Amino acid sequence: MDKLPLGLVQDLYQVVPYKTGSWRTMMPVNLMQIPPCTHSCPIHNDIRGFLRVLAEKQDYEEAWHILTRTNPLPATCGRVCPHPCEGGCNRRDFDYPLAINCAERAVGDFGLEKHLEHRKLIAKRKERVAVVGSGPAGLSCAFHLAKRGFQVKIFEAKSEPGGMMRYGIPAYRLPKEVMNREIEAILRLGIELECNAKVGVNIPMDQLTQFYDAVFLGLGAQLGVPINVPGQDASNVYTGVDFLAAVNRGKPVEVGKDVVVIGGGNTAMDSARVAKRLGANVCVVYRRTRVEMPAITAEIDEALEERIMFRYHTNPVKILTEGGRVVGLWCVQMELKEPDASGRARPVPIPGSESVIPADTVIMATGQAVDYDGIELQKIDNQWISANDLQMTSLHKVFAGGDAVTGLETVSMAIGQGMRAAGAIEDFIEGHVESRMAPPPVIYSKDLNMYYYHKGKRFQKEALPVHLRLKGFSEIYPAFDPQEIAREAERCFSCGLCFNCGNCYMYCPDNAVKPSVAGSTYEFDADFCKGCGLCAKECPCHYIQMTLEK
Amino acid sequence: MMRALASEDLYRVEKKDLFASGHRACGGCGQALAARLVADAAGENTIACLATGCLEIFSTPYPDPTWRIPFVHSLFENVAAVASGVEAAYRILKKGPVNIIAMAGDGGTADIGLQSLSGMLERGHNALYVCYDNEAYMNTGVQRSSFTPLGARTTTTPTGNTTRKKNLPQIAADHGIPYVATATPDDFRDLQRKVKTALAVEGPKYLHILAPCPLGWGHPGELTIQMCRLAKDTGLFPIFEIIGGQVTNVRKIPVKLPVEEYLKVQARFRHLFPKSGPAPEVAEIQEIANLNIERFNL
Repeated sequence: MDKLPLGLVQDLYQVVPYKTGSWRTMMPVNLMQIPPCTHSCPIHNDIRGFLRVLAEKQDYEEAWHILTRTNPLPATCGRVCPHPCEGGCNRRDFDYPLAINCAERAVGDFGLEKHLEHRKLIAKRKERVAVVGSGPAGLSCAFHLAKRGFQVKIFEAKSEPGGMMRYGIPAYRLPKEVMNREIEAILRLGIELECNAKVGVNIPMDQLTQFYDAVFLGLGAQLGVPINVPGQDASNVYTGVDFLAAVNRGKPVEVGKDVVVIGGGNTAMDSARVAKRLGANVCVVYRRTRVEMPAITAEIDEALEERIMFRYHTNPVKILTEGGRVVGLWCVQMELKEPDASGRARPVPIPGSESVIPADTVIMATGQAVDYDGIELQKIDNQWISANDLQMTSLHKVFAGGDAVTGLETVSMAIGQGMRAAGAIEDFIEGHVESRMAPPPVIYSKDLNMYYYHKGKRFQKEALPVHLRLKGFSEIYPAFDPQEIAREAERCFSCGLCFNCGNCYMYCPDNAVKPSVAGSTYEFDADFCKGCGLCAKECPCHYIQMTLEK
Repeated sequence: MMRALASEDLYRVEKKDLFASGHRACGGCGQALAARLVADAAGENTIACLATGCLEIFSTPYPDPTWRIPFVHSLFENVAAVASGVEAAYRILKKGPVNIIAMAGDGGTADIGLQSLSGMLERGHNALYVCYDNEAYMNTGVQRSSFTPLGARTTTTPTGNTTRKKNLPQIAADHGIPYVATATPDDFRDLQRKVKTALAVEGPKYLHILAPCPLGWGHPGELTIQMCRLAKDTGLFPIFEIIGGQVTNVRKIPVKLPVEEYLKVQARFRHLFPKSGPAPEVAEIQEIANLNIERFNL
């Protein structure tokens, strides 16, 4: 026997350790769960994934590829999405939610700048799918189908693709250049686009169902619905949709000095802000108060910043005309009584409170409807397409998504539905009965160990000063600094995904946590783990959880 | 006299598993965790002298001890004397240098072994004495020691301990030794830095480590780290170093917590919280915490 150092009588490295793993009743496991940001995102973007890549490697290219696995329009969503993800962010309970929307825009812009190409998942297949409408829903469905190898053709009624993104969203929110380039990148996946082809009018619906293996309807809600008041057929009364479409097409619209916008939704806000940029004094007339307005809060704030006047509790009674042109709006004040069927307070007129608002143009942003010309299918309330949670409609092999199904919703909601429909169409064509997995549980802040996180400041996007914004239609938020966005990404809690903090490795009293062979995370040594649960308790992001021993 | 240590050496976290898997400690044992952190920080060139106690029992059964460094088994009361002897032998045989660490629980340090500890400190042996403070004789079945805090229930104080905890770091410092420190295993970086700093100092050193005991304290094993944190943040276990008689490097409490948060988790303090409201001892324990906060400016 070799002489042992330091007077040892037994070679301690030859010891066969006693296996304490048999004491265990609970066993730690690594579980990847859904973070609340992904859960509250209508597209289920892997937000944690792209933020971790930004924080660890500042690799914008990989972040773009992670994001475009689900969302084909990151630069667009980064500008117009009302970011429900930030409302879900677990940091909300700690300091401030992450500026996910800004990060998304920065990543999307990087992709546009570097002309990154989408990755195709599998080789070409022979099945063909027709997509009606090239709005966010149609583009998303076409994108996800094309990635899966289907031959996709988009039919667009208007002369250019984009749907409501092009004709509804003003350029100061979404520059046309950004949208055009994102759409081009999607079309480069091999998607055919036929413009000026209105399905139901130019092309019969039967023809599509006959020649294609499946059809997706992303019709959108493109018809403005005016309210019924006397004088509404005067020459300078517009619906919000028509007004925005005319401006977005580049048609000169003469709005005059005073513009009155009726309504409190996003179209009303957009119309008001566009009219303001055309040089008018704008007044928004709404029956209820700011609290009940369906518009995105940030939009209302920005409209207020741009000195747009809001008149709440005000209801139009009559449009005053002179020689076929509007001169004013006859209004009555309302008071709010018990809630109506929609859950919002019911406005009731106050007698004797009538007043006149002078107006050269009246824009009625009071609702939108779907143009069903030549398309017959089952509807809800005779208004929206009836579709199940797989986006299937009453017609055989016809799927639908977007505003035409949900009522008036966001771009991200439409993209999410397009994506879900693409999955359903694939299942439908391949004849799968049940292939979608139930989603894993969501992690909330009560599951996290907040001790290991530091409070920090949130990234604040800076808008241009109001006098510069109102000069034209240039974007109101200048580009963000990529370094600052990467710093913001470091604030991500990484809920439910190991970020190699090493707590489990250092705290295990039994040394039963070992770095995994791949080196990315940690593994548990079942021979020695006593199942005390210390690692799970001290795991900041709840990646480690205790389960019953089998 | 202190050997200079580069700051990256000092603050590097060591994980060498010199105190390996396979020991018989309870799940979530704070002492096993602390012993591994100490052994890894000290490195291979170390001899551990163990007093009778939990650590010695669960880590050294023949033929499968968990230590990967040499260890000496001693009696309950004489670990400091054994460490002194090992140190003297190495000095006389002109071997070394080698790190000599005496390890004992709170009973073996504060009650039974106090005279031998005092002797080691007074004679100036170049050894580090580490006390794993789990606040009772846990190995023999949770009997009261002089480190048992006020109000804690043990098998020998079934209605709650009536005396206050002995302040051993101060007693050790009053021997005029160069380095005294307190630490908890939840802040492993700080604990390992203190071990490395102590081993770089020539002369007797004393390190006091809080080692939560899930069995004796009556908290779930998963809360061991949480207990350390609460003990620190309520002010009941101040973290400091005494270098050359001066208290330095006091850990400031980020957010001060009331002692109830610490007490309510543990079964040994459960009798202090009957349905009729907290017992008067709680206010007294809070007073101890306030005294610590004032004294160390936590």
